[in-house]
Order: sequence, then C-alpha cells, then structure tokens
Amino acid sequence: MGWEEFLVLWCAVWAVLALAGYGMALAGVTKTQRMVRYTGRIEQVRMPRHGGSRTGGISVVISYRDVTSGQEVTVTNDGERGEVITSAWEGREIGVSHPRGRPHAYRLSISPEEPSRGLGRPTLALFLVCCGLVALAAVGWGWPWALIGLGGPLTVFAAVHLPGTVRAKNHRIEQLAAMDTVHGRIIAVLEDVTVDQDSGTSTTITPVVSFTTYEGTAVTAHCTSNLPDPAASYGRDVTVHYAPGDLADFTLDRAAERRGQKLDVVINALAVVVLLATTVAGMAML
Amino acid sequence: MAGTIGPMTMSVGAPPAHHSPADLASGFLTAGVIGASLTAFIGGWMVESVPMIVTGLVVPALYGLLFFLATLPRRASEAAVVPRTALAMIESLEAVRGETSDVPVRFDLSVVPDDAPAFRVEIWQDVNRVELTEYRSGGTVVVEYAPDRPWKTRIVRRPTPQWEERAAVAQVVSVPGPVMRSETPDSSFSGFLNLFGLLLGVAAVLLLFRADLFDFYEGDDGASPQPSVSSSSSTITVTSATGTVAIGPGRSMLDESELRRAVESLTQAADKRHALTVVVRDRLLTVVFPPAGAKVAGFDPRSLPYGRVAGLVEEARTALNVESPRSWQLTADSVTGPLTLRVVVTGNGGTGTLEADGKGEVLRRNGS
Repeated sequence: MGWEEFLVLWCAVWAVLALAGYGMALAGVTKTQRMVRYTGRIEQVRMPRHGGSRTGGISVVISYRDVTSGQEVTVTNDGERGEVITSAWEGREIGVSHPRGRPHAYRLSISPEEPSRGLGRPTLALFLVCCGLVALAAVGWGWPWALIGLGGPLTVFAAVHLPGTVRAKNHRIEQLAAMDTVHGRIIAVLEDVTVDQDSGTSTTITPVVSFTTYEGTAVTAHCTSNLPDPAASYGRDVTVHYAPGDLADFTLDRAAERRGQKLDVVINALAVVVLLATTVAGMAML
Repeated sequence: MAGTIGPMTMSVGAPPAHHSPADLASGFLTAGVIGASLTAFIGGWMVESVPMIVTGLVVPALYGLLFFLATLPRRASEAAVVPRTALAMIESLEAVRGETSDVPVRFDLSVVPDDAPAFRVEIWQDVNRVELTEYRSGGTVVVEYAPDRPWKTRIVRRPTPQWEERAAVAQVVSVPGPVMRSETPDSSFSGFLNLFGLLLGVAAVLLLFRADLFDFYEGDDGASPQPSVSSSSSTITVTSATGTVAIGPGRSMLDESELRRAVESLTQAADKRHALTVVVRDRLLTVVFPPAGAKVAGFDPRSLPYGRVAGLVEEARTALNVESPRSWQLTADSVTGPLTLRVVVTGNGGTGTLEADGKGEVLRRNGS
C-alpha cells in the first residue's frame, strides 16, 4: 500500500463519516436535535467570592417550567453544565436542555433561541476530506497544487466573509454609539492558578464588574478586557457602557472596541490578499 | 427551626467492588493496544514501512470503536440512573497542599438520604482554596450520589436555594460503620498487569514485523564491508522457522546458478519443501518456512523464476527513477493470493517498488 492508497482511504473514511453526520442532521436525529428544550430565567445571582475561581462562571439559580408536567423546576449551574454563564442578572433568559427522559442531565445555553443542528462534526470531517484531497493532488501532480488547493478555497471563504465583516463593523459601531453609560464597580477579582510542568505556575486574573442599568437591573459579569492592571482592580469604580437591548453586551472602553472592529476588517482583507497571493504563486509555479 | 436527621438504618456499607477481572482485562488489552500501535507507528516511520504505519493508526481506531460499542450498554445504564441529593456531615477533611488554586481535599462524610439507608463514604474532591473555609469538620453539606455507586458521592458546590436552606438549619447525625472508598488497595497489581500488556503489545509488533524492522538494519550492514565473513564458502543457518544463506564477497545472488544453489541447499538442509516468504538480497537469502502443523499453503521456493531475477532487479534500478540506487531486495510470497515477487530498490532519493507475478512478468511499478 502506497501513500496514494493511504490518502484515498483517509478521504473515503472521513467522507463516509461526514455523509453520515449530514444525513443524521437532515433526519433530525443528532444528539443536539434530540434534546428537550426550555427557556429558563435566572432567579438569583450569587455574588462571587473575591480571590475565588472563574471556573463554572457566575453562580446562578435558574428556574424553568417543564411543559409536560407543568412543574416549576429549579436548577443551578453546578459542575459541567454546558455553556458558562459569565454575565448574569435576575430575569436573564437561559436555555435549558436535556436528553429525553433524563432531566437531571441538563445543559445550559446562553442563547435560548434556535438550537444548533449538530453540523460541527460533519463539517470537520469534510475539512479533513479536503485536506486529504489536497495532499493527493500535491503528491500526484506536484507540490504547487498544495498551495492552490489550500489557498483557493480559503480565498473564496475569506472573500465571501469580507462584506459580512464590514457590515458587522458598521453595525457594531452604531451599537457602540447607542450604548447607555453608567457607573460600575469591580466587586471581586478571581484568580486561577494552574501548574504547568514546563513553565511553572500560570495565573489567570478575572475581574468581576457589577453595574445597575437605568431600568434598575443589577448586572454581574466577568470583565476580561479593557481594564488596566486587572490584578489590582478590586474595589475600583469604572464606567460601563452597555447595550440596553442586551445587557451581556457591555464594554469599559468604547474607543478600544471601535479600533478592534476596524482591525477585524483589516485582518480579513489582509487574509484575502495573502491567500490570493498563495494561490497565484501556486499557479505560477506549475 | 432546626431539624435533626438521623440514620434510618445502620449503614449498608458495601465496599465498592475491587478491580473486577473484566476491568483488569480491559486495562491489560488497552495497554497492549497502546504499546503495539505506538511501536508499529514509530517503527513504521523509521523503516518507512507503510503497512506498519497504517497498522499503528488502524489498530487503535478499531480498538477504540470496539471499546466504545462494548461499553455503550454499561454507560447507558449508568447515565439512566437519576442522581440523588442528600445532606451529609463532614466527619473530617484533609487538604493536600499545592500551588494551584484548586487543591485536592479528602472528605470523610456521613451521608443521610431522606428515603434510603445512611452510609459513610470517603471521597476526594478539588476545592478552591478561598472556598476551603466553608468546609469544616462537623459542618453540613449538600451532596449528590448515584444510588448504585454511592462511593462516587460529590459535594454540590452550588446547591439550589431549597437545599441550601435545609443544609443551613439541619443537624446531621454521624453514621457509624465501615467507610466506603473508591480507591482500591490492589492497584499496584493492575499497574503491573498494564505494564505487562504494554510490553506484550510492543513484543507482538516486533515479532510480527521483524522482517521489516530488522532487515532494515541488516541491509545497512550489508552495504558496509564485513571483514569477518569468509570469502570463499557460503554460511548456512537453519532454524525451524527460517533458513538463511550468506555468500562471500565477489559473489552475487543475481547470478542465476548461485541463487538456485542457495535455495537447493536450504530446502535440503531444512528438509522442507514449502516456504512462506523468500527474501533475496545481494549476498543474502532468507527463507521463512511455515510453522510446523500450520495449514498455510506457501509455495515451493524452487519454482521461483530464477532466470528473471537479475532482469527484474536491473529494471527496478533503471526504470523507477531512483537516484543512485544503493541496495535492492526481492521478496517473494503467496500470502495474499498467487505468488508475487516484489523488488524494492533503495537509493539516495528514496525507494522504488516493482511487482511481478510468479513467472517474472512485471505487474506494477512504483517510483518515488
């Protein structure tokens, strides 16, 4: 068995898996599609302890109504429970889902809307098929085909996303302009120390900000960006800009956000140029 | 109002099962597969043998799939068990010092469920250093456990408000009796067994692919001058499984009569008429005989197309685009069907393979 056969086998196996995955998603039998879904609300937000850990997110109590039994069910985000809640306020909608017949194995999600169709894994399998095909082309027809095979599709992908990135930037800048501004305070600084065998210990600092909106909603959230000297920020008063439509969307520094959005567009455009150049170089070397 | 929760009955205290034979066997097998696939994969890269690399990849994948399917029913039944929540009293606790923010803590708990017998259990759980002050001996905590595996009890860090209130007002009575532990004292035995499995897996691959692995190095030796080899005569070595003939410098197996003579001498010396594999190199002939009593067909080594060997090797050297060919090797076997001859030529720029049928007619060419 030579390399070609090995690569063909590689592609075939992943193609079968990808087809099976897409088939299951179409038939509606993937694991995520078989979950029972409810929309719950945060009933209670528990204050994080200064110096504690960020793992598990902000401790909250969530209640939802089980449609079949009509009962009000109360759960907490204890242990591994799906998405981590990093900003919480009383009344925030949280998606609760569990496998049929096993309500104790519930998972939480930040966005209670449309459930995902479980396409992640088949798409990954498809990507691996593409990699195999590119390798086959590179082995069979010469290595410039690797440049064309990888650069071409990625150029198209990046180019298609460019208008979306520009729109998102404009939308975001409008959003930033429409934000309300209130005072907040860093109510805790969380500290996670992990031991790395090579480089000793590493510490992750996560300040927790608390602010009250004009409507009177108290928001508690992890605040990981745009805060100078986070380790010494405990008790500091800060200015918080938040989107009235989505309280989880807040920032301490609108100007930095704007710059970041512009950088996104530049990076996307650069990616298109570099990938296009790769493809052209591959073609020229044929 | 403070309520007192006492044990309903004495502890059932059934200690968790020690390593069952099935657990030991699966650990042994897993270790074996790990050893075998790693050896095959790394060895395959070293001697550039695609079958070995593929074995190293396919075997663990297949084993993983089998393991997944075999444990599916057990995992499904475990997942179907609804965990119970209960109050527990901390009899004692002991934290292990460490640099990380989460430290492992050993808890000795008296668990008193509302509607089941109380029990004592010892568990290990990671606790954040800041939260460590919340746990003290004699304190009440909320725990969750699977009714069929009570030794897997877990302290609930974020109980629901209802349980939080109960834990705040209730006084849990200590439970006497044996303490369940999830760790078993005979783990050193299973460790040895796993190590043994690993070594066995490595040994199995080394044995199975010995031709690929060790010929590679012998081939290298063959390329360098060997002063100790006698120059005029040939050296014949015969075991029950293999026979080799090494001929002195200045002679070559490419010579038709030389090769024929070597094969004849081997089949006579070993008194065997059939071979599984015949490997020919410039001055070395190796014949692998079928094991005694095995019903493997094999082939008669004397039926090889001796007259075509030199031609095939010459064609492999020239037609496969191998840069400055250094060594060649002809392998004849009928393991996968009719007799096939495979000539591999190795040079500076890689290897080339040529395949021919039992009559010496070229079937395929593979250059790199």
